[in-house]
Amino acid sequence: MTLFDVVFSGNDAVYGLTENAINEAIAKYGEDKAVAFPDTAYSLPCYYGVTGTKVGNLGELKAALGVVKTLMTREQKLNDAFMSGVATALCAEFIEVLKYIDGATPYEAPCYGHLADAVIRELGVPLVTGDIPGVAVLLGAAPTTEDAVALVKSYQSQGILVTLTGGIIDQLEEAGYKTGANVRVIPLGKDVTSVIHVVSVAIRAALIFGNVTPGDAGALMEYTMKRVPAFVNAFAPLDPVIVACGAGAIALGFPVVTNEDTFKVPKSLINQPDVSKFNATSLEARDIKIKITNIDIPVAYASAFEGEIIRRKDMQVEFDGSRVDCFELVQTKEMSEIEDHKIELIGPDIDTFEVGSKHSLAYIVEVAGKSMQADFEPVIERKFHSYLNCVEGAYHTGQRDMFRIRIGKDTFAAGFRAKHIGEILYAKVKSEFAAVVDKCQVKIITDAELCTKLRHELAIPVFDKRDERLLTLTDESVDVYYSCIMCQAFSPSHVCVVTPERLGLCGAVSWLDAKATNELDPQGPCQVITKERPIDERIGEYEDVNEAVNKFSQGALDDVSLYSIIEKPMTSCGCFECICGIEPLSNGVCIANREYAGMTPIGMTFSELASMTGGGVQTPGFMGHGKHFIASKKFMKAEGGVARIVWMPKELKEQVAERLNATAKELYNIDNFSDMIGDETIAEDPETLLAFLEEKGHPALSMEPMM
Amino acid sequence: MGDFKLTTVEEFEAATERLLETGKKVGADGWQYRVKNQTPHCKFGEQGICCRICAMGPCRITPKAPRGICGCDVHGIVARNYLKFTAGGSATHSDHGREICHTLYCTDPNGAYKVKDPEKLIRIAKEWGVETEGKDIYDLAHEMALLALGEYGKVFGYQNFINRAPEHTQELWKKQEIAPRAIDREVSCSLHMTHMGCSSLPEALIRQSLRSGLCDGWGGSMAGTEFSDVLFGTPKPIETEANLGVMNADNVNIVVHGHDPSLSEMICEIADSPEMIAYAKEKGAKGITISGVCCTSNEVAMRRGIPMAGNFLQQENVVLTGACELIVVDVQCIFPALGPLSKCFHTKFVTTSPVAQMPDSDFIRFSPENATENAKAIVKMAIDNFENRKPELVHIPQMKQKATVGYSVEAIKKQLDTVANSQVDEFGTTKPLIECITSGVLRGAVAMVGCNNPKVRPDTAHIELMKKLIANDIIIVASGCSAQAAAKAGLMDKRAKDLCGAGLKRVCELADIPPVLHMGSCVDISRMMVLVAELAKDSGLNISQLPVVGCAPEWMSEKAVSIGNYVVATGLDTFLGVDPYVSGSDKVAELLTSGIRDWVEAAYTVEKDIDKLGDKMIERIEEKRRAIGI
Repeated sequence: MTLFDVVFSGNDAVYGLTENAINEAIAKYGEDKAVAFPDTAYSLPCYYGVTGTKVGNLGELKAALGVVKTLMTREQKLNDAFMSGVATALCAEFIEVLKYIDGATPYEAPCYGHLADAVIRELGVPLVTGDIPGVAVLLGAAPTTEDAVALVKSYQSQGILVTLTGGIIDQLEEAGYKTGANVRVIPLGKDVTSVIHVVSVAIRAALIFGNVTPGDAGALMEYTMKRVPAFVNAFAPLDPVIVACGAGAIALGFPVVTNEDTFKVPKSLINQPDVSKFNATSLEARDIKIKITNIDIPVAYASAFEGEIIRRKDMQVEFDGSRVDCFELVQTKEMSEIEDHKIELIGPDIDTFEVGSKHSLAYIVEVAGKSMQADFEPVIERKFHSYLNCVEGAYHTGQRDMFRIRIGKDTFAAGFRAKHIGEILYAKVKSEFAAVVDKCQVKIITDAELCTKLRHELAIPVFDKRDERLLTLTDESVDVYYSCIMCQAFSPSHVCVVTPERLGLCGAVSWLDAKATNELDPQGPCQVITKERPIDERIGEYEDVNEAVNKFSQGALDDVSLYSIIEKPMTSCGCFECICGIEPLSNGVCIANREYAGMTPIGMTFSELASMTGGGVQTPGFMGHGKHFIASKKFMKAEGGVARIVWMPKELKEQVAERLNATAKELYNIDNFSDMIGDETIAEDPETLLAFLEEKGHPALSMEPMM
Repeated sequence: MGDFKLTTVEEFEAATERLLETGKKVGADGWQYRVKNQTPHCKFGEQGICCRICAMGPCRITPKAPRGICGCDVHGIVARNYLKFTAGGSATHSDHGREICHTLYCTDPNGAYKVKDPEKLIRIAKEWGVETEGKDIYDLAHEMALLALGEYGKVFGYQNFINRAPEHTQELWKKQEIAPRAIDREVSCSLHMTHMGCSSLPEALIRQSLRSGLCDGWGGSMAGTEFSDVLFGTPKPIETEANLGVMNADNVNIVVHGHDPSLSEMICEIADSPEMIAYAKEKGAKGITISGVCCTSNEVAMRRGIPMAGNFLQQENVVLTGACELIVVDVQCIFPALGPLSKCFHTKFVTTSPVAQMPDSDFIRFSPENATENAKAIVKMAIDNFENRKPELVHIPQMKQKATVGYSVEAIKKQLDTVANSQVDEFGTTKPLIECITSGVLRGAVAMVGCNNPKVRPDTAHIELMKKLIANDIIIVASGCSAQAAAKAGLMDKRAKDLCGAGLKRVCELADIPPVLHMGSCVDISRMMVLVAELAKDSGLNISQLPVVGCAPEWMSEKAVSIGNYVVATGLDTFLGVDPYVSGSDKVAELLTSGIRDWVEAAYTVEKDIDKLGDKMIERIEEKRRAIGI
């Protein structure tokens, strides 16, 4: 027997019962006897919704059954099975309405039977807002009472409305489980036909909220499929009548999950032998995502703590990417590779660390989702800064393999441990990126060796690959730039203008990242900035860019240039990877990166330079920027470009040498330009540096004075 | 359904009529006129009963002269012609594959050709038992290229790719002695068998036809497809447009035509460079529009979303728009008519391959080693030609449809993953599709392929059959000019779901696909072979048991016969709308439509009435369902 044959036979059986029931009722009461459900303006709502015809008495009901018969075609096609499913539902409605003749009250507590229009109007708002994220239709008896209770409870805890038909009602009663509309668990009735009362709710929702014209069956089914997040859990054994009802449910767009080994239809008829997985299976089949509002950590979590700083003396433990191997990474995986909400700690926990000590830490957030794109990985990753900063008594700066996290003593004392980092990342990623992340698991690594290995073998290649993609894009080749105000928690008036050749100064938000951020969240921190009205292409100033900066800085800034360090330079927040500042004696600039703790020829350390530059204020002669920007052809383009670079720490120089040399070759035809640049092993004062530069014939010496 | 509406064949024809009027003004010829001149066709040729393989003849068989001078009967002559025809097709596809392998050999991290899908390369290498661990991807590419080129002349053994077929199929091939050996060997062997005084036994000739087909489908074509993916990226769903309306009167229009993506990819790459766009603007155009005709168009549409101007019988139309600055061709299915036609307009007709050289063309020899320079010269030639356009002759029919294309097997599986449930299902399989089929939601699938042929009202058979099949819950995978017919009509627009039966419509909605899936060019029919092989493995059925058939309703080329042979030999019943020149021999016709079923569990059906052809396919699909009890 094919699946469709089963549907047809179930439909035939119910049709036969209905025909008999109507004939018997007519014999008993006569054709003029009124039939109606109480407290509804929609007659027999299912029949009215599908056909547009109201039924008022038994004679009309018999005529309606004739219409139902026309739906019962028997070709081996899904359309025939769907229509037979609908016919079965309509028959069920007819059987049910007969129970209400003469104002009878066929249902007694705990069962509800027919639900009044008022109930639907009450449910409307929470369904629309997602407060009720779904409607579970449970049919039959679960394998055990415990299974029944556990399943209902699981839906209830997610806010899902549960309706019960058949044996499960007795199971819950037996367990003494509280039911009722007020707890969102509604027993409908013990006959299988009583399931129509929840279908009736869906159909009336389409008529009430969807403005579907009664009789427009196509629009009705489209509404229920797209708007009513219902699904069916049908417990084994399934008889043909239940299968026929299931066909009706699937026709309306409601998937059926069953523990019977039967036919399978993707996203529609799903065999799940393990009842304890009905919940997860059903939610995935119906694309229902549960918002996570509660983060399971022992301290407070709020944006109020985002700007909080943990001083060294208050610090229990520190993870510092500039000193030891650390990284944070988002990786896209296949759905099957991820166990949702798995938090794994690899290495010792925080309580084994000495107070005030410094350690390696890596956390890899693995995500999967049907709409997930690799482009979103860095975007999700960038949010970690703000996610982890919202923890009371903890702070996070930096990004990628250059972050620093401090956990305060009080927070540790309250019970905060490594796994809580995972809890936070899980909860925030799942709730804020619900559009793309269906499943998420977190690996937290404190094993120092493994951190080192993975940093070099896993994380850095990924970061490099992302940077490489940017190389193919230029400021001229794109039509728009993006704003980024992710750091405004720290630096309320700072705005980054992100262009293909000038990434955000934190080094973490590239033009592609900003673009993806904008796509994911059009109202979010990255907004499109057009560049149609140039003022001065030499320094990279545009009217539209200025307008945007003014708007996003709440009026704090009027104008910025994209390519100058002297004239209207872009502001810095405080998150920058590097700072460059003018070194007057050599007519060039020195760059210091965050990891560099020593002195620069300018006479200031990185920290001292940072204090000059941050806070979203324009400081001509100083500029915060990302490492990647150093080799850009747009780096200080207005002042002559990278040829101005006279000094940077050796490690940084080595990191950027290859790309910097390529840029210098292209712009000035200079080979091995990085060899002309000083570092701390050559000079930490301007005079020694100048002597070195003269010896090398550094191009900055012969350029126009900067000031 | 909103404002979505299919474009009809009548609308296509009205647009063509309008273009032919332009043609008349400039004295242009057209296939429509040449068909008239060639009608009626030679009856001996049509029936396949003319033999001119030796200089004693030509001999042709009539009731009065039932044997040729050598004594060969009509069955031997028809079967020999059929095998020669097949060998022509497998040689052509396979040589295309060889060019791709050569391009793979030329890959260089700093060169014009790169390895864009290293994962796929590694996957194939592992399949072939090549060590990949710790190897530089370009070293691996070169090693694989040499191995792949070796498949053409391998001394012993069968084609590497046949290991992808289900065990049962492989056993069948070996048992029937049709498992494909070296590609060049099968082609040579075919020509040897058809030499004067060799085979005249129909069974032997048809058997070799199947084998020669298999060396194409599971050899040369598959190499062409797989290594094109490695080079240019494995297609994934992408939006594009189809029909002449994709050409843009304000822009420099370059049309790529032919089959080999090594050329068209490079043209697209160069035309997209800021340097060329700026140059085009300098010359008064607003930009550069690349569009395609025939299979190279399918290749760049699948990978880059480059719009499709049209299919095989529309190739002259692109010139007749008067807005085509340059049509650049590589190999196969190029009308020599384009040369004289281009002379009636300002259009440059550029041939590039030593394999396809034609009079009245500019020949710019294209080689992978000089690809960038060659492509630059061609794009520049087009831009320089913009100013020569005659505005009074410009008319682009404003007719186009949206299409989602790019359904490689990998992409199809990825799409199927979106309807799988991670709580119960495996990912990366074809199982969701099998479940749709076994439950009856989908009745089956039809692989629609092949060309246009003036013997059939162009595109009608493709479009009408597809409409009929999708209305009956049969999903279509399409390639080549068939796919382009579908795209032009609008059948690859996701909104075409509303033309489907309830089952296919629901599948389209849930999986977010159009009802007709574009699987690529004609060499990409090898993708369809991989797909059915996976369906068979995932379902535990033999390929021949699947409710899946192949169909080429408007075929015309030798390649199509080679394809037909490997599709049938793989176990799929194949339905043709044009007779493959075998009507002269009842024995050969009987073999092809029934006898070979004993060898490969599938056979041909030839039916010129297109509506009946559709009925027969549906009936066969339902028969197969009944046979396995679903």
